[in-house]
Amino acid sequence: MALTRATVLLRAAAGGLRGPGRPLWAWDTLRLCSTQAAPKDPPAPPSPYQERPWEYLESEEYRITYGDKPVWLGYRRNHKGAVPPQRTRKACLRKGKPVGNPCPICRDRNLHVDFRNVKLLDQFICPHSGVILHPTHTGVCMKQHKLLASAIAQAQDHGLLWLRVPYVPTPRDDFSNRHPAVGKTPPAPALAPGRHWYPWYEWQPPPAAAVARIRRLYKDYLKEEAAPAVTGTPPDTPPTPCVENKGE
Amino acid sequence: MTGLNLQKVFRPVKKELKPPKYKLMTEAQLEEATRKAIEEAKEKLIMPPVLNEREPIDDVLAEDKFLEGTETTKYVFTDLTYSIPHRERFIVVREPNGILRKATWEERDRMIQIFFPKEGRRVIPPVVFKDEHLVTVFQQDRHEDILNMCIAQFEPDSPDYIRVHHRTYDDIEKHAKYDLLRSTRHFGGMVWYLLNKKKTDGLLIDMIHRDLLDDATSLITLYHMLHPECQSANEAKERKLQGVDLIKIFVKTESQREGYIQLALQAYEEAMATSTAS
Repeated sequence: MALTRATVLLRAAAGGLRGPGRPLWAWDTLRLCSTQAAPKDPPAPPSPYQERPWEYLESEEYRITYGDKPVWLGYRRNHKGAVPPQRTRKACLRKGKPVGNPCPICRDRNLHVDFRNVKLLDQFICPHSGVILHPTHTGVCMKQHKLLASAIAQAQDHGLLWLRVPYVPTPRDDFSNRHPAVGKTPPAPALAPGRHWYPWYEWQPPPAAAVARIRRLYKDYLKEEAAPAVTGTPPDTPPTPCVENKGE
Repeated sequence: MTGLNLQKVFRPVKKELKPPKYKLMTEAQLEEATRKAIEEAKEKLIMPPVLNEREPIDDVLAEDKFLEGTETTKYVFTDLTYSIPHRERFIVVREPNGILRKATWEERDRMIQIFFPKEGRRVIPPVVFKDEHLVTVFQQDRHEDILNMCIAQFEPDSPDYIRVHHRTYDDIEKHAKYDLLRSTRHFGGMVWYLLNKKKTDGLLIDMIHRDLLDDATSLITLYHMLHPECQSANEAKERKLQGVDLIKIFVKTESQREGYIQLALQAYEEAMATSTAS
């Protein structure tokens, strides 16, 4: 039902007053009651500095907006009471929509946190102690703070930022590598080419006493052979069953 | 030859901010404090070892063919006894095809770092030690920092350590940035490398420009000790030359950039003459 009774009443009430005298709550009643979807804003074009975010920090636009000051200077969080919560908001984009008063990085669509734009990362590091500034101090949201921390670590890995170089005293161990743990050990005799690690890897002739005992046990079942089975050779591979069947 | 510049050795490092401490000292106490500082600086300036590349480990301890197909991954067995030095630790690997072999050097370093972590060392070395990223580092003039990181990360006989050091020394020699390493513990290693490659001209010019004639003469004496068969070494031994004459003989016979060094020597001598005259 497009028009309910309530909306009819509203319309009547709003229609009664025309022109600038209309109350504020009656302004959009027509649009409230229509079935067409509300016209959405066109999506914002992608930032031109997506690929090379460090160029934005050299541009005229940046200089006009921020001058020489860091990006977060002058940003004020909105919170209840005198003491701000010790954690800033979780993220500035909730389900794709920006919140009111976004943080210094989210409010400027040309600022991208990347390990290559060292100038932006430097603004979030204390110049005296080399420590990353707390989000309560700069005002960034927690998601951006995590991205900043990981970008700073990546920049240090790539050699673009140098915060703390570890000093390790000169190692003075024995580097001769003579110990068998790290030096050459002569290989075991069983590893020589042509020999097997365990003797039973290759076919071994069974001991004569065992062969004689088995022959004595099964004396009545032994087939008559032209010559007794020579113990020095390994048995031949058994013929495949399908070949035998076909032969028969 | 390394030089002991206390200001550079104990230069401030970014740390937590604290208000400065002032101490009131008598002359004797100040001398005592300076002496202690010099001792500590000498400790910090001990040259790290320069070794040849280590030989790869490829010893097989056992072959158990019947284990083939039972496992799909390699197993690494590390001896975790606390009191043995890392170079005597037995680390073996059982491959899926049943072979029991000693672990390679890279596997050894990784395992030892996992079980006995050392400060400043990562299990997987950072990306900055690859050649393409070293270029960025050299552009920022961070040779000393990268060498310190290299000492923290790698063993002195590992191929990565030697490669990074050689690249750094080559870059310093190419751009004549010798002063970056002066008064650090890496200066000795650089001098040794350049002497072996016989590329000492740039360093010599730099020393003469900074009026370090003693260092220049000790450099040439070292060269003669390393390459005793060269012409200048023989001549120096015959005539027992000292000081500037030694440099002049070396310049005439061995160096490639004779002109530059002659010019530098002339400028130095003129400066000496004017200073003694005035």
